[in-house]
Amino acid sequence: MNTVAAAIAANRFGLGARPGDLRQISNDPRGWLLAQLVPEKTLPASLAALPTTAEDEAAFFIWLRDFGREARAAKRQSARAASSNTGDANGMSERSADANGVANVQGSFVKSLLPRYHAAIAARFQTAVESNAPFRERLMHFWSNHFVVSGAKPAAVALPPSYERDIARTFVMGRFGDMLQAAEKHPSMLLYLDNVQSIGPNSSLGLSPGRVRKNPLLRGKPGKAKGLNENLAREILELHTLGVDGGYTQADVTSFARVITGWQIASPLKNFRFKRFQSWTAEDFFYFNADAHEPGVQQVLGKSYAQSGAQQGVAVLDDLARHPSTAHFIATKLARHFVGDVPPAPVVDRLSESFRDSEGDLRTVYRTLVQSPEAWQPTPLKFKQPEEHLISAVRGLGGPVMNGQRLLAVLNEMGQRPYWQPGPNGWKDAEAEWLSPDILWKRLEWSTLAGRAMASAARDPMALAYELLGATLGEHTRQALANADSPAQGIALLLSSPEFLRR
Amino acid sequence: MTTRFTRRSTLASLLASTALLSTGVTRATFAAGAPANKSNEARLVFIILRGGMDGLSAVPAYGDPDFANARDALAIPPPGANGGTLDLDGFFGLNPRLTRLHGLYGAGELLVVQAVCSPYRSRSHFDGQNVLECGAPVPFGLDSGWLNRALEPLSAKGPRGIAISSAVPLALRGNVPVMSWAPSRLPAPQEDLIARVASLYAHDERLANAFAEAQAARGVMGTDSAVRAGGGAGAGGSAGGGGERDGRGGAAIEMMRAAGKFLARDDGPRVAMLEASGWDSHATQAQPAGALYRNLSALDAGMDELRNALGTTWRNTVVVIATEFGRTVAMNGTSGTDHGSGGAMFLAGGAVQGKRVLTDWPGLSVANRYEGRDLRATTDMRAVLKGVLHDHFQIADGHLEARVFPDSRSAKRIEGLVRAPLAGA
Repeated sequence: MNTVAAAIAANRFGLGARPGDLRQISNDPRGWLLAQLVPEKTLPASLAALPTTAEDEAAFFIWLRDFGREARAAKRQSARAASSNTGDANGMSERSADANGVANVQGSFVKSLLPRYHAAIAARFQTAVESNAPFRERLMHFWSNHFVVSGAKPAAVALPPSYERDIARTFVMGRFGDMLQAAEKHPSMLLYLDNVQSIGPNSSLGLSPGRVRKNPLLRGKPGKAKGLNENLAREILELHTLGVDGGYTQADVTSFARVITGWQIASPLKNFRFKRFQSWTAEDFFYFNADAHEPGVQQVLGKSYAQSGAQQGVAVLDDLARHPSTAHFIATKLARHFVGDVPPAPVVDRLSESFRDSEGDLRTVYRTLVQSPEAWQPTPLKFKQPEEHLISAVRGLGGPVMNGQRLLAVLNEMGQRPYWQPGPNGWKDAEAEWLSPDILWKRLEWSTLAGRAMASAARDPMALAYELLGATLGEHTRQALANADSPAQGIALLLSSPEFLRR
Repeated sequence: MTTRFTRRSTLASLLASTALLSTGVTRATFAAGAPANKSNEARLVFIILRGGMDGLSAVPAYGDPDFANARDALAIPPPGANGGTLDLDGFFGLNPRLTRLHGLYGAGELLVVQAVCSPYRSRSHFDGQNVLECGAPVPFGLDSGWLNRALEPLSAKGPRGIAISSAVPLALRGNVPVMSWAPSRLPAPQEDLIARVASLYAHDERLANAFAEAQAARGVMGTDSAVRAGGGAGAGGSAGGGGERDGRGGAAIEMMRAAGKFLARDDGPRVAMLEASGWDSHATQAQPAGALYRNLSALDAGMDELRNALGTTWRNTVVVIATEFGRTVAMNGTSGTDHGSGGAMFLAGGAVQGKRVLTDWPGLSVANRYEGRDLRATTDMRAVLKGVLHDHFQIADGHLEARVFPDSRSAKRIEGLVRAPLAGA
């Protein structure tokens, strides 16, 4: 029985072996992976129970409404204070009191969403632990971290779970171009990277700023025009498609930002009155606001785009999805995730070619990856990220069961709070990021707890190690397990072993 | 226009003799109950503000004739007005949220650098932060950090550097083993298990190094309940306690306090690194309740905490606060600013030759801006950092040029940023 290849399939490509898995996989490890490259038939129950996209978007708009009310109240109070106070010191304290009122709205918003955040974290984790297609699930995690929407931005705190479901989970077995179009039009992305506020300077709204006040998303200071915001355009080029060295300039960023002016979210607040709003999908929320769109032809990457309306942006995204730099960028990231922090050039070239030839058919690219001999090196190629380590441990042990609060606390300690990437570039995919003294120590602390929770007289850590690592279990770890003074200590050592920390 | 700065001759290497006492310490652990830093050994704290701090909000150039117009609604009022700038030198001021930093300025312990940037000019956060941290002139030019390479010739009684964060940031990664520490709410493993794990890692060098540094850090902080359980969440982990920390407020204060405690020890590390994210103010940055103002308040309060925790070691400390780039001069369409180039940088601490604004001020008119939009960067951040490392740690020019900041000869080391060191005890 070739348990080396089986362990690689289960641990490097999948999310970690469960007892019995290696026996089943060892007949045909590559076939086991390829068989997972089919769309998910039904959404796992724990995910189906989470709030809909409409409910998540509504949470944001309710916050926006309350925030606006508070800000206006603060402004009135400030005006009163200014007219009744002459001393600067008094004026200052009034100002801070107002600021606190507004900050409190934001704080209570984030707090009120904690229960659903906990539920979403637990559902993501449970799905990964129970998945019978762990290679597909890992790929879903990969895309969720590519097209990032992060709750680290307070306004976006409610959005990542339904966004992940709409984008990464929906398109993981599809075409890259389709995922790109859906991600950039998704209301959560338009919000997260500020495009909802971007207005073409020569659009009708840009030229008559007074009208801007009618839209709560755009409302700024009275009489002040909102204008261009290049955040989304830049990150699409840098992080979602071409990559930073993909051959674009500041002028391309600015032109592309003009192209996607008017990409907004459908008239939000008044729809609260209508029941049908509850069944809106992400696509229903996309709203092209012609009044905010910069008119005219735009040049992006040396090509003229004369299309009208949202078609102009759709056309640019289409071309970006086909661009050779995009193929190379995605190929590099995929290879880095599976074949090593510095992936071998032949693998990157092969994946890139596969991406180009198939016009971004992701399943074709995944097949090329599985057939790449470099990905099957017996020595470990990657250091597990904290969430990966926890998922593989719980898959292997069948526990401990952790609710959302517990998971949040543990992963937060390890520097990887779920749905909370520090920036739109997502979690870094490199050992140097995750093999730090502090994180290593916290993994041992958690492994100790897991050992205590899951040890039993019937569970032999050595037998479990063979079930999870097969022939990749090394002599030093085998010795350490043989000498362990209790099952609990044995399990802690197994989870902390080099073989289990790497994949 | 104005340059408010005098250069002075190179300092004598007064600390060189103590620096040679111990070398090659890689696995040292802290001695239990070591005394405070009595030897007056120099300490450095490097704080990265990730996201691109708006330098013209942190350090308003209210004296520039184009300031009010260019900044529009983002222009902080001049000194004396309600919510006005805290004056520095009649031309520049500090954001009104930086009251404690303003106090340090008055005490001669804060030096402000304005219109400064790393050599990077292309406005990507991630490449910009990479250049700021790796110390090469181009993104990903080196895979270790300048701060780690600066530690190569230094000695310490224990580990030479510490990251006050779960992960070690790039600036502090490299050949010199460093510790990392962040508060834990998980129970500590038993000594016997720790020993077994250490022995299991003996055959895996990277794991072994990291584990040794983790043990060293826990040696200091493990029994310090005030730090361990600080930040408002009990060690038992109240419901969601850990999860509500978001890198701001309480957690940031806790991190600053920890940095001070590590550095204040006689066998403490020479440098500590901290990071704060959330400075990318594309929208509504002028709101008093907005992220930028909250971040500035947290930074200001954190500096106070750091100074208190350092105690007398503050006298031998330089705190460098830097960001990957500044932002556009003009307000963008959403009451914020977009990615730019020149920005502000702070040097704080008892060892800083302060009460000065160091700048070769380019002016704010459109013609004077970089590509018509950004505050032009007229000072290379590496010139400042080389000056600090040379005068504060007595790192030789040869090492600075060859190892710490390769290809940086165009950025001539600035002298006189640091006071003459106190004589060793």
